[in-house]
Amino acid sequence: MPRWGMVIDLDKCVGCQACTVACKAENNVPHGSPEEQGLRREIYWNKVIAVTNGKYPRVNTQLIPMPCMHCDHAPCVTVCPAKATYRRKDGIIVQDFRRCIGCKYCMVACPYGARSFNSKEQDEKEYYRHDLAPDRSVWGQWPFPSRTHGVVEKCTFCFHRIDRGMKEGKKIGKEVVPACVEDCPSNARIFGDLDDPDSELSHLLSSREWFRLREELDTKAKVYYLPK
Amino acid sequence: MSLAFTATRGNSRSFYTLATLLAIFTVVGLLCFITSYIRGHQVLGSSNVIPWGIPIVVAIYLIGLSAGSLILSSMTYVLGREEYRPISRIAVFLAIVLVFGAMVAIAVDLGRPEKTWRLFIFFVLNNMRSMFAINGILYGGYFVISLLYLGFIFAEKSKWTKMMGTLAIFWAALVHMGTGAIFGFVAARPIFYSPIKPFEFLAAAMASGLALLILVVVSVFRFTNRTLNKEMIFFLSRLLLALILVLFTMVFVDKLTHLYPPHREATIWLLTGPYSWVFWGIQVGCAYLLPILVLIHPRYGKTIKGVIGAAFFVVVGIFGERFALVIPGTAHPLPFYPGKIEGIWGAAGSFPLTPIETLMCLGIFALMGLFFIAGLKHLDLLPVDENEGQTPVKAKEG
Repeated sequence: MPRWGMVIDLDKCVGCQACTVACKAENNVPHGSPEEQGLRREIYWNKVIAVTNGKYPRVNTQLIPMPCMHCDHAPCVTVCPAKATYRRKDGIIVQDFRRCIGCKYCMVACPYGARSFNSKEQDEKEYYRHDLAPDRSVWGQWPFPSRTHGVVEKCTFCFHRIDRGMKEGKKIGKEVVPACVEDCPSNARIFGDLDDPDSELSHLLSSREWFRLREELDTKAKVYYLPK
Repeated sequence: MSLAFTATRGNSRSFYTLATLLAIFTVVGLLCFITSYIRGHQVLGSSNVIPWGIPIVVAIYLIGLSAGSLILSSMTYVLGREEYRPISRIAVFLAIVLVFGAMVAIAVDLGRPEKTWRLFIFFVLNNMRSMFAINGILYGGYFVISLLYLGFIFAEKSKWTKMMGTLAIFWAALVHMGTGAIFGFVAARPIFYSPIKPFEFLAAAMASGLALLILVVVSVFRFTNRTLNKEMIFFLSRLLLALILVLFTMVFVDKLTHLYPPHREATIWLLTGPYSWVFWGIQVGCAYLLPILVLIHPRYGKTIKGVIGAAFFVVVGIFGERFALVIPGTAHPLPFYPGKIEGIWGAAGSFPLTPIETLMCLGIFALMGLFFIAGLKHLDLLPVDENEGQTPVKAKEG
């Protein structure tokens, strides 16, 4: 069984937020209004944070794209009372909206702020646009055609793409990748199997220096960053 | 000392006025809940950065009051202190009403309240490593145990009562320690993360439960023209003082452990940031300093008014303590990466008090008040008094 992971090369990342937008389009994540963003109610499955060190004019800015880290020791999985969030055999942490009771305990426990609460019904007219989205009918059981409010959402590593690619016998990581990886203009993101020694991911991790976020919590995150 | 218990008549005009008022607030609360259910949590104050809002503050506050009240009822039924018999029935009944209110508060804060049952399907589809699921067992068991306890008290089966009472104390202690563990075991939030949290919650539960019991007993006895044993209230006030001192020590140690290591930014933010007035003003000032000062005062500490005042400060202050834990505990931004995180991801969250949320919580209190006065009317909770001109009861909803 593969163990899916991601490498984000901070040297290549330009901070264009294409991953954020691609994720929203792919997973039908609602766009929030400016008011909602100010109130911190907008749903992000992927975010890009800017971190500064020092003072102008001697200042260093780092741009860190942050999807869900899909931790092997995920705090959210430990605290979920309803088994709504769980670790699949391939290491992806998924959220089952049917089981989720909306207690938000996972949002409290997540050290990466990767989870968002859906606090309103999705507006069909504005956000659910068949004309723009890719043809979803061929993907079979699409998990989130439209969603209900009152549950917690998060990045899924686009498991619907992976599952379909596996079924069709395609090479995951080359032919089939999550939407954020596909849309990255500078190829800063690489997706693949961490347990496969021949994957591009394994080559990068063995040849370059890398770090993970918040190592002090020992969450064994599967998103690796290559420093500048 | 054998003591007969009776119900209040509850047929005067002011009783019905009070009941109507509480019913109106309950209905308004229900309407607010329906609004939040249909329109989503956008009408509440919670957001992605502060996921838990006032209903959770109210829930843990009520669980604490309930556990404290139940533990104190044991003085009669387990330890055999007969002088507290007049107030023990009311303590057990109060505990049941309060824990019911707490369950309602948790249910209305869930995103999908129709799935509340998922918290109580013990072991079947629950993740038993989750503190919430473990607390589902504790809360469910607590409700059943305290109902049985009250049943045995009414049936006057003293052997069974003692047994059930002993179980109820341990279970109540466990319930509130479990509630503390919900917060204390979350490593990602520096203000929550502490091994002392369960014990701190237990101490806070006993102090606030005792304070509420003093308030309720004094006001109910006064409004029904019953004579109250003053010595009993003064002994309870000594106990309250001791519990506040224990709680104060625990909170002090908790904050000190958070301030001592270099990883102290969040706690400093709590003590000096926008929520510092809740911490210093309501938690430290109202729950610890004022009651301690009143109770050790040579004159005020020896009057019923002084004791009531201290108890009132504790009841209000412990609410502040819950608030100062839940809201700022998650509001401080998470340190994703070393350095200053720019924009909204590095900003501390703010919690707006929305009218719908406030009215919803008031509705929960009103619902409990309704149950409480209904209990006073229909159950034999109060000791029979020789002054038969009993006037109606005023409910004290905390």
